Amino acid sequence: MSDILVARGLVKSYGDKRVVDGLDLNLGAGSVLGLLGPNGAGKTTTLRMLYGFAEPDAGEIRYDGKLLSEHRDELKGWIGVCTQHDTLDHDFSVEQNLRVYASYFRPKLPDVNRRVAELLDTFGLREFAKQPPRELSGGFQRRLMIARSIVQQPRVLFMDEPTTGLDPAARVDVWRLVASLRAQGMAIVLTTHYMDEAERLSDAITVLSRGKAVARGTPREILGEVLGEHVAVVEATDADADALQAWVRAHTGNPPARVLDEWQIPLSGSQLAAFSQAFAHCRFTVRQPTLDDLFLRLAIDVQHDTEESR
Amino acid sequence: MIWHPYLRDLADWRTRAVFERNAQVYLRNWRTAFLPPALEPIVSLLAFGIGLGAYVGAMKWQGRSVDYISYMAPGLIAQTVFATPFFESLYSSYVRMFYQKTWDGILATQVELRHIVWGEITWASARGVMNAGIVCVVLAVANALGVLHIHTQWLVALPLIGFLAGWCFAAFGLCFTAIVPSIDHMNYPMFLVGIPLGLVSNTYFPVDIHNVWLSAAMHANPIYHLAELYRALLIGDGPDVHLLWLAGTSAGWLLIFGTAAQVLVHRRVLGD
Repeated sequence: MSDILVARGLVKSYGDKRVVDGLDLNLGAGSVLGLLGPNGAGKTTTLRMLYGFAEPDAGEIRYDGKLLSEHRDELKGWIGVCTQHDTLDHDFSVEQNLRVYASYFRPKLPDVNRRVAELLDTFGLREFAKQPPRELSGGFQRRLMIARSIVQQPRVLFMDEPTTGLDPAARVDVWRLVASLRAQGMAIVLTTHYMDEAERLSDAITVLSRGKAVARGTPREILGEVLGEHVAVVEATDADADALQAWVRAHTGNPPARVLDEWQIPLSGSQLAAFSQAFAHCRFTVRQPTLDDLFLRLAIDVQHDTEESR
Repeated sequence: MIWHPYLRDLADWRTRAVFERNAQVYLRNWRTAFLPPALEPIVSLLAFGIGLGAYVGAMKWQGRSVDYISYMAPGLIAQTVFATPFFESLYSSYVRMFYQKTWDGILATQVELRHIVWGEITWASARGVMNAGIVCVVLAVANALGVLHIHTQWLVALPLIGFLAGWCFAAFGLCFTAIVPSIDHMNYPMFLVGIPLGLVSNTYFPVDIHNVWLSAAMHANPIYHLAELYRALLIGDGPDVHLLWLAGTSAGWLLIFGTAAQVLVHRRVLGD
């Protein structure tokens, strides 16, 4: 599959802080790339560079081989953007939002009326067509945001945390819409904090930490590569705390993650065997790692580095 | 040539798309948008022209005796051509930029920030033309009723003459929009800049200045030339040198404040 989007060596700094640091990305047509990382990892800045909102300090972005910096006007017509925050035009009705948004693209849509009608039906917005967006529920507002972002039939769609703040039913609705857009051949880049969402929707994931890609691949590949095959979950007691932390640091190089009353310790097969022997007196369970564990690991790493740099 | 990209952007379809978006919103709300500018000149005419004018009586303008209400009427149009774009780009643009996130939505399309800036400036100027047109209608009616005495044949041209000037006033206002930390801080440009500037520009009363520096500042102020040009047209002998001064100062202001608005808005919205 040829790549519709290729980014190489992206760098962006704000003041002294390097927010994105030499990032490479590839996206194939009809595929979904999940961009994950803790707060401050550089996800939104990366997205903003990719859709032309911010200029990279270094590096290049190509859509279908064309440099964004040289073919900006044309390529911005290929891009749809669904931002995290509500940017709907509340001066207009639902239908007018789609119609007015279409006027911001050239070449003009051959039949705006047909396209607007098609989107109203596809996204279940027909009955709200004449209402202002603020009268819609959060889920339907999000539907309208997505519908509006594809009004010009873009080839690449960027979705920044598309389900944040939605109830479970509305989240599933958005997942269905994303799946159907992908099935139509649209390439999608999405950021999310929901790990189940990333696993369900993404063909590939790039994990960012401090502006760099620290892991790439399918969710399973990434977890195996970064965390290991198992996570030991130990009930935390003060008596064991020091010994357990010291052991985990010595054998994995990382501190264990404390989640409420539990220690969660990503381990390889051999590390798990050694752990079982060392803490035979402890009660613990073993489960498969999830992207939540990866997030915790990255957050701990960032915290650890921040403390060391002080 | 710095004007080249400006003129290109002004003529670009994307600037027109932003203008048309604002025009559509105005047309949806035209009843509420129409009434205040229609009432304001009536209130001003009653309060200043008839009320204050009764105490002032006749006054001298270019060696001729003019009743105060007729002196003030051209200033009322000039004040509208200045204040409408200035406050439109100050408040309405700020609401669209900050609260409604309208600009963020538009920026996710082929429209660039520079087109939004020119679109907002052009729209604000057009609002000035529309409101000035309403004031002209009110003045024509007042003239027909014998309340004031002006040459009404020029009234049709006045709003259009104000269009270029409106651009520069809108660009001036947008500079403040880009730098005020919050909408509460709008009081500073409004009360410390907008209102005083409107008042000291020979709009409602003549400002007699003998200091050379203040006089130079007055001549660099397009509102002053706008008020005096309108006065020459409505109660004088027709177009005079203020037409050239108006064209020059408006173009100068537009170059300076248009550039400043582009830079400051870019910094505010995109953070670069």
